[in-house]
Amino acid sequence: MNARARHEARAAYAMLTPSLIGVGLFLLVPVLGVLVLSFLSWDLISTPHWAGVANYVHIFTSGHFLNSMWVTIAFTVMTIPTAIAGGLLLALAINRKLPGTSWLRVLYVLPWVSAPLALGVVWKWLLDPSYGAVNALLGRRVEWLTDPQLALPSVVFVQVWSTVGYISLFFLAGLQQIPTSVYEAATLDGAGRVRTLWSMTLPLLRPTMFFVTVTSVISSFQVFDSIYAMTRGGPGFRTDVIASRIYDEAFVNLRLGRAAAMAVVLFVVLVLVTLVQQRYFSRRITYDMS
Amino acid sequence: MTEKTTLPATTAPATGGGPAAPRGTRGRSGRRAAPSWAASRLGANLLTYAFLLTGAVLMLGPFGFSVLTAIKTPQQFNTSWPLTLPDPVTGENFTTLFSDEYSFIVPIAVTVQVVAVLVLGQMVSSILAAYAFAQLDFPGRDPLFWVYVSTLMIPVVVTIIPLYSMMTSLGLKNTFAGLVVPFMFGSPYAIFLLRENFRSTPADVLDAATIDGAGVLRRLWQVMVPMNKPIITTLLLITVVSQWNNFMWPLIIAPAEEWNVITVATAALQTQYAGNWTLVMAATTIALAPLVILFLVFQKQITSSLGVTGVR
Repeated sequence: MNARARHEARAAYAMLTPSLIGVGLFLLVPVLGVLVLSFLSWDLISTPHWAGVANYVHIFTSGHFLNSMWVTIAFTVMTIPTAIAGGLLLALAINRKLPGTSWLRVLYVLPWVSAPLALGVVWKWLLDPSYGAVNALLGRRVEWLTDPQLALPSVVFVQVWSTVGYISLFFLAGLQQIPTSVYEAATLDGAGRVRTLWSMTLPLLRPTMFFVTVTSVISSFQVFDSIYAMTRGGPGFRTDVIASRIYDEAFVNLRLGRAAAMAVVLFVVLVLVTLVQQRYFSRRITYDMS
Repeated sequence: MTEKTTLPATTAPATGGGPAAPRGTRGRSGRRAAPSWAASRLGANLLTYAFLLTGAVLMLGPFGFSVLTAIKTPQQFNTSWPLTLPDPVTGENFTTLFSDEYSFIVPIAVTVQVVAVLVLGQMVSSILAAYAFAQLDFPGRDPLFWVYVSTLMIPVVVTIIPLYSMMTSLGLKNTFAGLVVPFMFGSPYAIFLLRENFRSTPADVLDAATIDGAGVLRRLWQVMVPMNKPIITTLLLITVVSQWNNFMWPLIIAPAEEWNVITVATAALQTQYAGNWTLVMAATTIALAPLVILFLVFQKQITSSLGVTGVR
């Protein structure tokens, strides 16, 4: 290594120092930390002691964590197809480029830049049984967030409402990348509007679909703020998503080991989801391209 | 005339809007096809307008209603239909919020400072790291970058418990440092995006600067940063948005009132004064309005992040 290369390497390491602290100390060390904590029993006050796999055994045998897994999966399964269908429809509508519609997409994205916590508080009022705007419009009293049957669909609705515009932007970008020659060919072949959509547009949007699905699943598994504002996981744990459970277990019940075990499981699940989706979609895409 | 008509009206914009050239291909007589096509197109257009406007009303409604409630007197809110317009319009809820009893000015001040420090810290650290990865040669560069990128997969909920115990054991619970320290040293996401952009900066521009005798840092600040202003602006705005909206970490590390950020203060207000909706909506208005305005002003730069982050 000559002097110039050594000088350059030294400069590089110096420039990397802040981010090495950030990535090392505040991302990688905590990942190791959560793994260690998941084998400990600790209430923040007394000294932690070794618990072996007791935390894992407990979270998989007592009801709350498994319930949270199901709630999160149900939340995700209800939210994402709805939001994707809505986002796609919005994108198709905007992409017709009718006069005066292009600025509308700015409105659809407003919830995305807004604090999920504040939006949750707003929806808590809108859905309030006695004073809420929704019941005022409907002219009847519905316990949107306190009825055990309705609470989960209600928070799903709010999640769809806040993500649909953001998702539509991705589809819009995808649509605008489809060459017009594709449509010209389809029209010349006599393909109708619906045919063109099904057999040309949607397959060509598959990479967008993949990206949107993966990122939505990942963020859906971590949803916390809006649920905290609207239901705190209630009524009767019906909306108790994983992040709410981890928060409660760690910072309300002060069982940090148990909460850490839940966090580890969540992390593993998210990594698996990413890998599975990646494999599934990449196979589908290559088939179509060949 | 509904969407059931199968004439290819949706394809018209994509073909460049040339008037009805290929429409005869479906074997209809030209004389009849033209008006029916026009009518179908009109129907589809009306449907599209109706759909987009309904969407816009649904999206804006919650924002509008919360502001309308925030400028209503509690008396009016409690005695009349929730959707009546404010009469009289009042700033009463905001004055109450800023009075000594609620002192909502504190969370605003805390939030502004937290956002400022985090944005500055993240931008500087990320730009430095991205430049090193993009333009400098050093042992271990590629494996290290791979480590950075893989940390993108780590969700906040996973790291939050160990971070909490780290910060608490350092005595940083309910302090300004506790709020900012874990997140101020760059973000892998920003580093990743910036590196992509810095790499595509033409090498001869940088070489010219090197021959000029500019050092690494001067090359970075005087050539690289100005040349990549759009992506840096976008990242800056996105960082402001995500930090202003941040809730979980501040809730855990700084629950004491004097260190509440705006989201935590709003949540606390809603819990404490449940049912006092005019006051709570004034708080959400304060939490939401700055970013809504920021977004309306910079919407091009903010949404353009989709182009770089998302689909190629």
